[in-house]
Amino acid sequence: MNVLKKLKYALMTNLIGKPYLRIERKKSEKKIAKLFNPDSPLNPPLKITAYTKEFVSSHYFKGRYIEGVKPVAWVTSGAPIEILKALGFFLIYPENHAALCGARKVQMDLIKTAEKEGLSNNVCSYVRTDIGSLLSGRTPAGKLPKPDLLLACSNICQTVLHWYRMLEKHLNIPLVIIDTPFVYNEIEPHQVEYVKKQLLHSLLPVAEKIAKKSLKEKELKKVIKFSKDATELWLEILNLCKEKPSPLTVFDQFVFMAPIVEMRGDRETVDYYNEMYKEVKSKVNTRKGALKRERRRLLWDNLPIWFKMRELAVKMAERGISIPISTYTYAWGELAPLMDLKKDEFEVIAKVYLSPILNRGTGHKLNTMVKMVKEFKLDGVILHSDRSCKPYSMGQMDQRNRLIEEFKIPAMLLEADQNDENAYSEEQIAIRIESFFEMLGVSYG
Amino acid sequence: MAAHSMVYLKGMINLKKRSEIIKKFKAEGGQIAAIAPYHYPKALFRAFNILPVELWGPPKLNTLESKSHIQTYICSVVHSILTFHLKGNLSVCDYILIPHTCDSLQGLGSIFLDFIKPEQKAFTLYIPRGRRQVDIDFLSKEIEKIYNELQKATGTTPDKNELNHHIETEEQAVSMVKKLIKNRAYLNTDDYTFYKTIRSKEYLPAEDFIEIAEEFYKTYKIDTPLNKKPVILSGLLPEPMEILNVINEKDGLVAGDDFATTGRRLYPKSEGQNPFVRMAKSIVHSPPDSSRGDSVEARLNHLIHITEKTGAKGVIFFIVKFCEMEYFYLPHLRKGLSEKGIKSIVIDTDINDELSQQTITRIEVFMETLK
Ligand code: SF4
Ligand code: SF4
Repeated sequence: MNVLKKLKYALMTNLIGKPYLRIERKKSEKKIAKLFNPDSPLNPPLKITAYTKEFVSSHYFKGRYIEGVKPVAWVTSGAPIEILKALGFFLIYPENHAALCGARKVQMDLIKTAEKEGLSNNVCSYVRTDIGSLLSGRTPAGKLPKPDLLLACSNICQTVLHWYRMLEKHLNIPLVIIDTPFVYNEIEPHQVEYVKKQLLHSLLPVAEKIAKKSLKEKELKKVIKFSKDATELWLEILNLCKEKPSPLTVFDQFVFMAPIVEMRGDRETVDYYNEMYKEVKSKVNTRKGALKRERRRLLWDNLPIWFKMRELAVKMAERGISIPISTYTYAWGELAPLMDLKKDEFEVIAKVYLSPILNRGTGHKLNTMVKMVKEFKLDGVILHSDRSCKPYSMGQMDQRNRLIEEFKIPAMLLEADQNDENAYSEEQIAIRIESFFEMLGVSYG
Repeated sequence: MAAHSMVYLKGMINLKKRSEIIKKFKAEGGQIAAIAPYHYPKALFRAFNILPVELWGPPKLNTLESKSHIQTYICSVVHSILTFHLKGNLSVCDYILIPHTCDSLQGLGSIFLDFIKPEQKAFTLYIPRGRRQVDIDFLSKEIEKIYNELQKATGTTPDKNELNHHIETEEQAVSMVKKLIKNRAYLNTDDYTFYKTIRSKEYLPAEDFIEIAEEFYKTYKIDTPLNKKPVILSGLLPEPMEILNVINEKDGLVAGDDFATTGRRLYPKSEGQNPFVRMAKSIVHSPPDSSRGDSVEARLNHLIHITEKTGAKGVIFFIVKFCEMEYFYLPHLRKGLSEKGIKSIVIDTDINDELSQQTITRIEVFMETLK
């Protein structure tokens, strides 16, 4: 049975998938070229953009045939996946899947399906999107493989714990929860101990049982090394955006960050970011920015508004507004220095996964923003007040006030949602953005 | 046994006001800690001669002040707590504890520490989302951490015996709540009076509460059960409390609850000598609860168990609007209950608003459908 599945997997992914995705890449290269005509305020994107789509799609494509070939786990974006990777698991990230649905603008139908089944519209729109997909079987990824294991880590929000409890109920498979206490100030030894013990005694035995093998230290070290290398490269790429003009905007980064989330720990991901680094570096060397004319530079806080990415990118670019960085995209790079390969792996993993910005206090985020404004030579901050993401959004009103009053940095709160179009008011957003442009001295008038 | 159908006796127990209790406790040399919802080691504070007074809002507040710190899509409980502080109403308190109950209280705790910076010493407490030994170990360390901070702040060092003494007193108070809830159908009083009384535990010293609860039991105890339609309430808290009157007026009786204020804090008795571990164990082994990230199965079985024990044929989910953790479970809980022939309804509330006429009508209609 497994042999047959393995054969099918090899056949479909290598003989059919690869050529098919290559054709798709050519098509999207043409499409992208059309979008960036001479009148566009944006310069043509990186060459690697079309490949990114192919790279991410190939992951989902493999997923269609992976059942029975490798153990499958559905995991939260901040889950300590290195252990699972080292055991040979194939991973699916429901949050990324929901983001993909949002970016492809198919999310609202899925949201409606979930709400029809009784899920409140006060629940995070990623959850509604994803549960809608699970209930209806509809997904832009073709088909998601059925998992053997669910792994939820609370370092991004409590929402994911409840979300995964629902998945546990639907799918009737084991769920492991790694609880990472919120870090109000500094990380404390008993917090590290707590997470480490859970990795060793809650996750490892269940994962080994499902994978039908024991974890090898060598394998784990290798995966952590790939994670670290990819994360470091990502950080270096983002740091290139400190240059003026910035070679990338957040709207590019939101797309380019997918592999760091869902394919970290793989050699191919390191290669991918290596390629990207070279291309971005050459743009910097030739002083070619993402925008044709960069007049002001801003920081973006919080998740993107997936279904409005292109519109917002163009709207900003038309006024010469570049957004070279965001707390969200930078958060992944910030973890790189913590991945100390010389230390005990479980201790390192525990510390790394306690540290994401979403697991840190509101003051820490403010300090991070102020530091980024300085280092990236920014003129202001847009804080996306995301109705769905309470942990990211709470504190933003004080952060905005401090930015303005204490640090004299113009800042604006933009009320929206990462996936739910019902929480997006076109008119109000236009007015707010326009008045912020005015404040920055880049209005049309 | 013949069912009792006499008219409810109302408000015979003299409950002192929260402000009087606080004043008296302070006058006797004690200190006050304001506590946000909802799991915390009460005995720890008492061992330092600190009276924990819980902050469930308070309700019916005009929350203008909090709106310049937190967005409108955050629940009314959090808005009220912050507004209450910003209006200066917490100045009587010496400490503020904000347990990590949900993402919104996480945010509130962080805003308090980083931006609001109250004069009082503010603590946070991370409640682990599991029921494993590792969770008990972690929580006992969290509790010990607060012990150390209180030791520094008060200059006193309660020993193991003092801590254990308070643990036992608190456990007695919990036992009294359990007894009252268990005998609800044999207590001839309306639900408003009943909840006012059991919820006085939120601000009374345990010794006083035990006394009042005993008196309450003696005063209202009858031999035959009330002939009312039993119904179960679930959610965070029975606010606005008028819901209780609506239920009673429709010949209903709240026979049990799965509220954070009450049912979810019927902690089991603890054992052992280490007071930190005892307190941690009690909390970790609390009844199934959304804030603890429990499974759908555990919560559903618990609800079914309460309905079977009380003979309730309906459950009212009384949900504070924007309380995300509650919403998650609803589709599954409602489906599971319905499979057992138990009806349910979901009511969204804002603790600062009156019950709307539409909500009242919905509850009335629901009560009428219960046999
Ligand atoms: S968007 Fe926010 S609330 Fe939703 S899953 Fe992500 S981190 Fe959690
Ligand atoms: S009502 Fe819900 S969201 Fe609000 S503080 Fe309580 S647990 Fe948190």
